[in-house]
Amino acid sequence: MTVSARGMEITLSAAAVRFGDFQAVHPTDLTIRAGEFFSILGPSGCGKTTILRLVSGFLDPSEGDVLIGGRSMRGIAPSDRPTALIFQNLALFPLMPVWENVAFGLEMRGWSKARRRARAIELLTMVALGDHADKLPSELSGGQRQRVAIARALAVEPAVLLLDEPLSALDLKLRQHMRTELKQLQRETGITFVYITHDQGEALTMSDRVAVMNAGRLVQLGTADDLYDRPANAFVATFVGETNRLTGRIDAVEGKRARIATPEGPFVAPNPAGLGVGNHAFLFLRPERLHVLTEGDSRANMLAGRLVRRDMEGAFSTLVIDTGQSHVTVHRVNGGDAPLVEGAVSLGFSQDAGVILPLGETAND
Amino acid sequence: MTELRRAFGAPLSALIVFLAGVWILGLIAAPQIIMIEQSFWTMQRPEGAAELSVRIDALYNRLDVLALDHAAAADDAARAAIDAERVEVQGEITALEAQESTPVKTWTLSNYAQMGQAHLAIFAKTILASLAVTAIAFVVCYPIAFAIAKLEPPRRAAMIMLALVVPYAINELLRVFAWQMILNYSGPLNAALGLVGIGPIPFLESGTGVFVAMVYAYILFMVFPLYNVLETLDTNQIEAARDLGAGPLQIHRRVVLPHARPGIAVGCIMTFMLSAGSYAVPYIMTRGTADPWFTQLVYNRFFQATNWNVGAAYALSLLVVCTGFIFVMMRLLKVRLKDIAK
Repeated sequence: MTVSARGMEITLSAAAVRFGDFQAVHPTDLTIRAGEFFSILGPSGCGKTTILRLVSGFLDPSEGDVLIGGRSMRGIAPSDRPTALIFQNLALFPLMPVWENVAFGLEMRGWSKARRRARAIELLTMVALGDHADKLPSELSGGQRQRVAIARALAVEPAVLLLDEPLSALDLKLRQHMRTELKQLQRETGITFVYITHDQGEALTMSDRVAVMNAGRLVQLGTADDLYDRPANAFVATFVGETNRLTGRIDAVEGKRARIATPEGPFVAPNPAGLGVGNHAFLFLRPERLHVLTEGDSRANMLAGRLVRRDMEGAFSTLVIDTGQSHVTVHRVNGGDAPLVEGAVSLGFSQDAGVILPLGETAND
Repeated sequence: MTELRRAFGAPLSALIVFLAGVWILGLIAAPQIIMIEQSFWTMQRPEGAAELSVRIDALYNRLDVLALDHAAAADDAARAAIDAERVEVQGEITALEAQESTPVKTWTLSNYAQMGQAHLAIFAKTILASLAVTAIAFVVCYPIAFAIAKLEPPRRAAMIMLALVVPYAINELLRVFAWQMILNYSGPLNAALGLVGIGPIPFLESGTGVFVAMVYAYILFMVFPLYNVLETLDTNQIEAARDLGAGPLQIHRRVVLPHARPGIAVGCIMTFMLSAGSYAVPYIMTRGTADPWFTQLVYNRFFQATNWNVGAAYALSLLVVCTGFIFVMMRLLKVRLKDIAK
């Protein structure tokens, strides 16, 4: 069983969307490669769903253009685009049996009943639902409904599959399972997947590349590693993953690193934005890159504090440390041999562990 | 019952049960039972009863005549003869009155057999016309309801619904009278048509007026159920269908109409029942110039023929057909009572 469609490239060329006075999407240039698993990540209201609607054809750009497979999509109806959309609430037709749901697109293309039923069963078998063809969607579990929606979208052999937070209604275990399934499906079919989500976990685990959006702008585009390890701005640093934020003033620049003077002390960290001496800036520190130092241990950067709280998370513990100026969180792997921490603590991190970025909007503001 | 008590406590539960009982008995059971009872009996007088009362009436007349004769009599002999005859007549009256009996209440199905060819034809016409009114109302209301529910932003939808309701704040009689005037043979519509060289058209006399006024009078009862059910349709489903290649007609046939079934059923049932049971609208619009509506016949049985039993039988026949219509609609639209109650 194969799906014969091949992925297509999507290009946004200075595409912008305005609703009255509200600029939902600022002019954006973006190329999504053919056959790529691409995610658009951002908080609600950031314009990610608007971009999805631009590509699917439910919305036309106020300016600029959308191209799929090199062809301008201006004036082309959703049904005539090589895309299929999976809705956040799936939007299965509740009164039709599962197989009719899957075959809906084929019915609209005038396939005979016998042919489209056969094809629907074929697709349902692919998503392991071959036995459920005659049930109603309401008789299936959340994960099964999810797979029906996928089969329904694949039935029309799209070159681009657009997914609008389709996993958000599922519970955690199922969500993790579906991530794997989606990723595998994408590899097998070679279709371009555009996945919209506000859940960074989904975006990081599944995607080849991720675009982070905020307030109608694309703020960073890169692989999951790029976003996590090399955030381009304060928003991405705080939106993707957990981080500690210290604020200070740069008092020395040494090559690609700089020294920042914060109330917690002076620290050296990479300075990708090339900020000069005297600039106010943020220092971001990932909790897992901070280490609890034992007697005689030392690092390039060190700070002292008192343990306020320890939250057991399973694979690691979250330590909340009061530095006197602020609370800093530290992730500590549960190796089973680390001594329990109490009272005064000394923390340290290497010169490459943090990142200094210009002041700017953060995800928690 | 136990659950009710647990939720509301004994006194409140008792009150709820009592009120529900009053509701069921007073609003549902009692009127029906009285009508059904009425329709199954007739006041029957025994054989020869009519002749008997005619004879008694005649004898009383004779008695009055004798009284006058008595007053005018010339002498005692004549008076005595008259008195003798008066006694004789009085005796005869007493004897006959003893034979006379009060009409007997007799159980019978004959009330239902009273409908002649003409009345049956009117009955059938009323049902067919009500079906037509229902169909027209649906055709008019469905696009309106869909447009308001799915195409308008919610604020404007509320305004439009309000605008639809405003005319209904006016008494139904006034509204129907207004239409009666508009459609009159010498009314403004015919005047306007006259300007372009058409007509005048006898709208009222041809029965067209009844249709127009009825669709107008009951259209809200179609719009609201349709609007309510269409509003609950997830817009994503329409978009999903579009995305999968469905055109407007296919979207309505496969997605919107199936979803709207309970609303269609409720709207059709209400419009049909109101049309078939309407008295004022056909009465005002035709005023005897076109065929009557069946309800007018029922009214006539009660208040002109003063035969309440036949009237009850007529009314009940209409009720049975209307109830039948409900079940047919529910069957056709595959709607269960549960869906309608929603």
